[in-house]
Amino acid sequence: MQILQYLINGIALGSVYALIATGFSLIFNVLKFSNFSHGALMTLSAFSGYFIAAGNGWGLVPTILVSVLTGAAVSLFGEFVAFRRILTHNTSPVYFFVSSITLGTLYEGIVVLKVGANFYNYPRFFGKPYRIAGLFVARSDIIIFCISAAALLLLAYMIRKTKTGRALRSVSFDRDTASLMGINVTRTIQFAFIVSGALAGLAGVFLGINYTLYPTMGSIVVKGFIASVIGGLGSLPGAIIGAMLLGILETTLISIIGSGYAPVFTFVIMLVFLLVRPRGIAGSNIQEKA
Amino acid sequence: MAVLKIDNLYKSFGGVKAIRDFSLTADRGEIHGIIGPNGAGKTTIFNVISGIYPPDSGKISMNGKDITHLEQHQIALAGMGRTFQNIRLFKGLSVLDNVMCAFDPRSKYGVAGSLAPLPGRFREEKRGREFCMHFLQMVGLEKQAHEHPEGMSYGHRRRLEIARALACEPTVLLLDEPAAGLNPMEVGGLTQLILKLSNEFNFAILLIEHRLELVMNISQIIHVQNFGKTIAVGKPSEVRNDPQVIEAYLGKEDG
Repeated sequence: MQILQYLINGIALGSVYALIATGFSLIFNVLKFSNFSHGALMTLSAFSGYFIAAGNGWGLVPTILVSVLTGAAVSLFGEFVAFRRILTHNTSPVYFFVSSITLGTLYEGIVVLKVGANFYNYPRFFGKPYRIAGLFVARSDIIIFCISAAALLLLAYMIRKTKTGRALRSVSFDRDTASLMGINVTRTIQFAFIVSGALAGLAGVFLGINYTLYPTMGSIVVKGFIASVIGGLGSLPGAIIGAMLLGILETTLISIIGSGYAPVFTFVIMLVFLLVRPRGIAGSNIQEKA
Repeated sequence: MAVLKIDNLYKSFGGVKAIRDFSLTADRGEIHGIIGPNGAGKTTIFNVISGIYPPDSGKISMNGKDITHLEQHQIALAGMGRTFQNIRLFKGLSVLDNVMCAFDPRSKYGVAGSLAPLPGRFREEKRGREFCMHFLQMVGLEKQAHEHPEGMSYGHRRRLEIARALACEPTVLLLDEPAAGLNPMEVGGLTQLILKLSNEFNFAILLIEHRLELVMNISQIIHVQNFGKTIAVGKPSEVRNDPQVIEAYLGKEDG
């Protein structure tokens, strides 16, 4: 019974990690670089959800909408100021690394300007947890799981079955050839940033609901990175599986050895996993390109 | 009106003059062969025409429209299709999806349709699939539509690249060494295919090829390049007997 309880909590946590990992993987897939501004973008979106919507007494749905739109818009802005020129000049990927860290620091700085070092809480959007056959299931967890699953399924469908998805895939394999076939590569990359930013906004709200809002909450994005590496860098299904495993592992460890030691053991297990299987679960063709 | 008109094209890379004063006028239904030794600047001509890099000077127009300084995808949409010397297929995509990628920019639904199940999406996806299956059929790959290109033979991959170029609905088709790496039997099949496509679509074809028997047999006009310069232009029979050409290129071939 206890194991079932861990599983439920782990899946809820894992679905937030899955949103982070997917948003991160999407950019990695298309541009082959790790977007380290993803965490700060999450923070910025979650706070704008708080100040524009939740803080004014608006409900859950407007808060989510504001955060998602902020995430998408800021991500698009970031692509334009920080990455576009690096992309068009085909310069070294190390510049992506530098400009994404810089951009992330900027976002975090903006948040600190507004809120200082204070902690904020979203109002309680949900009532008491359900009690089903001796198990506690938080209403927030159900909502978070359902919305995350819907968002990721929609994304998966779009990538596999539509022209926008094929454009994303062809651009991620070979930008030049894609554009010679008439695909507008700039538009496609902008779209990837919009989707990635929207996922960051969604993840930001969910983190805010589960924990608290504070300017460095974006550091939790590390777990999204880890999840996407465990899953196989660049693979979206891999990122989701990795995120679920990480969520379940983490909640189980917290219950067994307490929240002090749990992160240490989680990271040790992750390191061992990567030593044993550096390609991640899904493996991928990234090595071939590097 | 000529579908493709290239006037006095120049392109240098550092000190290397890759193209010096290249001109060409092609009409519908014509096949132009471009031959010359390695390093003569043939692929550079294709890369400049398709917009990978801009020319230093000169003008390229297609169907009367100046395309010299358009971006790659705009040139493709204006009616340019091409294949590559080193095959460049999208590896993670199925054979059909590879072709669909080239059709997609021409299909009539947008991002909204990709995210929401609007009727336009299903209609256009169906139209695209039928359209692209038709091209796969023309190159003889309809049975492999759901396989992945990695597993296919060299000859099939070359044909798939041609099908993908056809999905660009080209009025100008650039074929960069389509016979490279093929065995003599496959070369025969490819020759028939190029002639069939030329008849059916009536587009202008520019063909870079080292296999002289192939180029000489199907081209109406041959351009011989050497060190970036055009040293001879004319019918295959004329070019074959040009002393300059024999010295620069054919002489070596005949041993």
